[in-house]
Amino acid sequence: MATHTFCDGVQRRDFLKVGAVSGFGLGLGLPQFLAQADEGRVNPNAKGKSAIFVRLAGGPTHMDTFDLKPEAPDTHRGEFKEIKTNVPGVRFCEHLPKLAKVADKFAILRGVSHTLAAHALGTQYLMTGNRPLPSLRYPSYGAVVSKEIGGTKELPAFVAVPKQGNYPTGFLPVEYGPFETGATPTAGQAMQVRGLALRGITLEDVDRRKDMIAKYDQAFGGFAKEDKILAGMDEFSAKAYQMMRSTKAREAFDLTKESAGITRLFDDQSFSQSCLLATRLVESGVKFVTLNLGGWDTHQDNWNRLKDRNLPELDAGLSGLFTSLEEKGLLESTSVFVTGEFGRTPKINKRTGRDHYPRAMFCLMAGGGMKGGQVIGESDAKGEGPKDRVISPDDVAASFMHSLGIDHTKEYHTPTGRPVMIVRDGTVIPELFS
Amino acid sequence: MKPFSCLIVVAAFICGSTLADGLKPAEQRFGGKTEDAESPSFRRHVVPLASKLGCSGRECHGSFQGRGDFQLSLFGYDFAKDHKAITADKEHRIRVNLDTPEESLFLQKPMKQVKHKGGEIYEEGSWEHNVMLKWIQEGAKLDVEETGAFDRLEVFPKEFVAKKVGDKMQLKVVAHWADGTVEDVTSFTRFDTNDESVAVVNELGEVEIKGKGDSHVVAFYDNGVLPMPVMLPVSQQVGSKYPKVKASTPIDKAIAAKLQKVGIIPSEVCTDQEFLRRVTLDVTGTLPTADEVKSFLASKDKNKRQKTVNELLSRPAYAAWWTTKLNDFQGNSPAQMRVNQYARKVNPSRDWYNWVYRRVSENRPYDEIIEGIVMGTSRSKPDQSYKEFVNEMASYFRRDNPVDFSKREDMPWFWARRNLRQPEEKAMAFAYSFLGVRIQCAQCHKHPFDQWTQSDFNSFKAFFEPIVYTGNGKGSDPDFSPKTLQMELEKEAGYNRKDPKQNKNRLLRPVADKRLAKGEPIPWQEVYIKTANKKKYTPAQIAKIKKRNPNFNARVITPKVLGGETMDVKYPDPRTPLVKWLRAEENPYFARAFVNRVWAHYFGRGLVEPADDLNLANPPTNAGVMAHLADGFVKSGFDMKWVHREILNSDAYQRSWKVNDTNQHDDKNFSRYVIRRLPAEVAADAIRQATGSEERVKELASNMEMRMIGATSIGGYRGNNNYMLGIFGKPARENNCDCERTVDPTLLQTLFTRNDPEMLSQLSAKGGWIDELARRYKIKNGNNGIDRKKLGQYRAKLVTTRKQLANLKADLPAKPGDSTDAAAQKKYKSQLTAYKQREQSLIRKAGYYQKKMAELTPKKPEPGQRAELPEDVEYLISETFLRTVSRYPSNKEMELARADLAKSKNVVEGMQELLLALLNTKEFMVNH
Repeated sequence: MATHTFCDGVQRRDFLKVGAVSGFGLGLGLPQFLAQADEGRVNPNAKGKSAIFVRLAGGPTHMDTFDLKPEAPDTHRGEFKEIKTNVPGVRFCEHLPKLAKVADKFAILRGVSHTLAAHALGTQYLMTGNRPLPSLRYPSYGAVVSKEIGGTKELPAFVAVPKQGNYPTGFLPVEYGPFETGATPTAGQAMQVRGLALRGITLEDVDRRKDMIAKYDQAFGGFAKEDKILAGMDEFSAKAYQMMRSTKAREAFDLTKESAGITRLFDDQSFSQSCLLATRLVESGVKFVTLNLGGWDTHQDNWNRLKDRNLPELDAGLSGLFTSLEEKGLLESTSVFVTGEFGRTPKINKRTGRDHYPRAMFCLMAGGGMKGGQVIGESDAKGEGPKDRVISPDDVAASFMHSLGIDHTKEYHTPTGRPVMIVRDGTVIPELFS
Repeated sequence: MKPFSCLIVVAAFICGSTLADGLKPAEQRFGGKTEDAESPSFRRHVVPLASKLGCSGRECHGSFQGRGDFQLSLFGYDFAKDHKAITADKEHRIRVNLDTPEESLFLQKPMKQVKHKGGEIYEEGSWEHNVMLKWIQEGAKLDVEETGAFDRLEVFPKEFVAKKVGDKMQLKVVAHWADGTVEDVTSFTRFDTNDESVAVVNELGEVEIKGKGDSHVVAFYDNGVLPMPVMLPVSQQVGSKYPKVKASTPIDKAIAAKLQKVGIIPSEVCTDQEFLRRVTLDVTGTLPTADEVKSFLASKDKNKRQKTVNELLSRPAYAAWWTTKLNDFQGNSPAQMRVNQYARKVNPSRDWYNWVYRRVSENRPYDEIIEGIVMGTSRSKPDQSYKEFVNEMASYFRRDNPVDFSKREDMPWFWARRNLRQPEEKAMAFAYSFLGVRIQCAQCHKHPFDQWTQSDFNSFKAFFEPIVYTGNGKGSDPDFSPKTLQMELEKEAGYNRKDPKQNKNRLLRPVADKRLAKGEPIPWQEVYIKTANKKKYTPAQIAKIKKRNPNFNARVITPKVLGGETMDVKYPDPRTPLVKWLRAEENPYFARAFVNRVWAHYFGRGLVEPADDLNLANPPTNAGVMAHLADGFVKSGFDMKWVHREILNSDAYQRSWKVNDTNQHDDKNFSRYVIRRLPAEVAADAIRQATGSEERVKELASNMEMRMIGATSIGGYRGNNNYMLGIFGKPARENNCDCERTVDPTLLQTLFTRNDPEMLSQLSAKGGWIDELARRYKIKNGNNGIDRKKLGQYRAKLVTTRKQLANLKADLPAKPGDSTDAAAQKKYKSQLTAYKQREQSLIRKAGYYQKKMAELTPKKPEPGQRAELPEDVEYLISETFLRTVSRYPSNKEMELARADLAKSKNVVEGMQELLLALLNTKEFMVNH
């Protein structure tokens, strides 16, 4: 018989074999085994080495931010005017003047489109790059990045400011989950971040506690090195102390350590300060940071809310983010992805608001080798859907992963053994990398 | 065996060869000259061979897109579809060329005579080539009807016990067909090993031993899946050389039999202190209290372990923890349910929990509980009107004297989940929850490791099609329908549908809440059974509907249980026969799924592992134990506590974690206790109990509302945002997989227990044990003494002052250029003075804040300073150990702790540090 290989890739025997693997390791869990089996390398030539994901929760209107339609009828056109930016031909909302000065640093994706008009589903879609399935939770980008790229010794790979939301690792093991700060930073203060901040204790106290635990943690003797669970706990313990003792880790969260030149790029609002924190974290070796700016669910009183709160906050935070990354020399190596869960109805509702509308939305992409100062895609005359070409959230996700050197078609195996690609249906958007 | 029949088209095939011929190897039957070869069958030879050769694999033509415009069914079982794909390329007629069979692409591609991305699969003139070629020469016929049903597989030998690494064994696989045909199908069989470190098997069916241990090699042919045990004993101590090991219970006997075969000697039975901690954590999700440890260790009663098991099973914490476990399996997912659109206090997940809790605490039979869930229907009586229904619902949620929802006969929310809208989703969830079977593969293709086909899936799915969950209840009374009730609610809320300024939800929610509190009706969504049969359509109508909905299927499929008979559904509710099938003695899954999950809980590994993956290729590692527990469970009348007792009283459960030379690598034959991290809720409760005041400890034992192992941790519609439970792996219950609950250790968990404010504040919190000690010893508790709020305020002020200082520098007055300009000089001097004053004042301020902060921060003890130890210091140290690691400290530990306490500023602070240290030991965080 001619030789052949089975086409099924990782087969059942590989995960039934877990019993055997743990024969040596004693108790290696299935998810860990699968994680090992799937472990891969990122493309070293990719420019992006870390990433910042900005979630605009609630679904920002495209019509009044980055995709204005001055020619649309009154029923659709918003109150805001367009302004010029530092990129000829690229125009967007007048209430984003600071971003207009750095429009060359990011790409605007228009006519991004999908069909899920509920917050939860849209959010799951945009935060994972996969259309949600009832029977499967996909991992968020941060979990994928912390699996594929990993962290440093002193800081967690994946930090969420302040929170990531439910079940961030999807079908991947919890070890790839985010370190949640639980709060946003306050201007001019060191952030007392959970687990890392030494509240009322000194480094000596940390060492003393460490020694003390070691003294009383002798119950398993030499077996602690043999047993996978126990050995794993010891390993994490060593790493935890490394982080707690690390000046670098603490200073990453200490905004007072930032130079005046960078600090003044941001205002004192919590989103702006979170953006500042994100740049410091990336600078210190964190691979993935999630930020959150909510309040976009403007079913009523759309323009006042945008003008008075959301747009100024977004403008200050994002412009600061792009500029400071550039000044620190990090923009090239940091992929930034800004998105809501959907756009909003082009037609204005009776409450001077706009409702959920997934058929047309915008995303912003920057850094990580992605070309800024361009508009990709286009929505139709009234902003009701893509004009010709449809950009799907999957395509944006594929591009995001691509910028980080992660092959989005790589397959993971769910704990039930089902093969699933990182982004199942996406195609990398060529203009971003041209 | 049925009498031979040669009436059908395959007559030539069957009658032309004797039984003995069929038992010859394939090379002999199909090799050599094509004209001398046997006539191959599409079903019996062509498809299995294509599957075995990898053609229908996932990355080749079995992928959903196919390859090179040619798609085969994945794992090859859809014969009609595959036949069509191979023969019916009408445009080209070249894949199978009946006129010149040799020129068929179907043959040329795998021999790479034309370009083939998959490379060369077989050579010209090989027996494989002959099978394919001759099948085309004879007309490339589909013969599923003619071959009839497949009966079973047989593999020889029945098991393989090897002597050394490298030992080999050739397998022979024989297929039995319903028509009596018996055939050697070794060459058409796909082989797989369940553990490559024990044995591998090649495509010829040759097994080679790779290492010590035991596993299975599995043969796949047609719909047959047959695992064959293979093993290489771990030690020389097998058979008569095996030492005498006491085995008194049926479980221990079955385990001893297996261990004797594989040469594994079990660990000793664990100590009393290990037993009490282990069993209390496992059964009740709770740490034993210090007092419990003391009295258990002191007891001289020979039956104290057995008595403890019985006593634990009667505690509310047993019911709470096992309800949580059952809810995991049942998929009680709070984020997937919202049974009332407006009323915000309704939490169906909680109702579900309480309903199960009542029954677990009363130890109602398991089948009865599952019946209540499966048969869940919102209206409690078949003839209940909509009005009666909404009134009944209101009675459960009114503020005064509400009717207990958990007393309802059934629990309808299983079917109310948003991720269970489609019948296939219901079928998968049902199979997962109650059968421990993963049928999702068969939704799209033949299950790769089991017998399930797509048609099995569809027949099973048919049971679930009539189960509906909507807001438009059936049989509405025109005077009181969901619509009239909705209008009534809107009217009361002053909601005007035409007024665009109004926000409907914002107006209706408070009104609904108010009505609910008063016990007045509000609209509800409900679960019910759609009685109308599927309409019969004319072909023209079907074509029209298909245009709109390509997935439309007009065929009425008769429901069929998995692996069983077609159900003649005369019942109005298709769930009735389904439940009858579940609890039938011969049901192959229902009882096994439950006992296997209980086993997995107590051993960290199921008899079948993964515990929710009962399939033919994945047999239990100890069939005797499985049979004993499953049969006994059915015979006991599905008494859950019988299963618990049977396991907990076995030596197998009570083995030590300490290993010997033969069992150090064993994690599937239950010869030792496998160490595991505490589950999320258990860890959270354990920390709370270990740090709680004596009174709190008592409360925790009786009041389940205070416990994470119970309903408190469920969360609501927006999910569960508890950070600790999240990082410790509490499941979302959304994925139809037991693996959603994880007990893997991670870095974030360690950071949490070492240094998270949530953790640290528990240690020193009011109502805690340390706080209690501080009061007893009248010592202002070390860290607890810090007024953190004030400290924070001073810190903020300090930061502001420093900022002001920095800003002030910008105001430093400039020296006038002209030194002769007296006015300018004077102005400069006064400005400078003002500046200096301001600077000094800010510096003073900063100094003041620093001083205040220093006062609030506890001072380090002077070197050599010793805390005065109270007389009962040994008692305190013992308590700390008993509270955390559930044992007395050793003499050495007592000395170490005394020394540590003496070094601390005062005894309370020292105790707090000792407690924190013990909570961070592995010994605390694992069950062992």
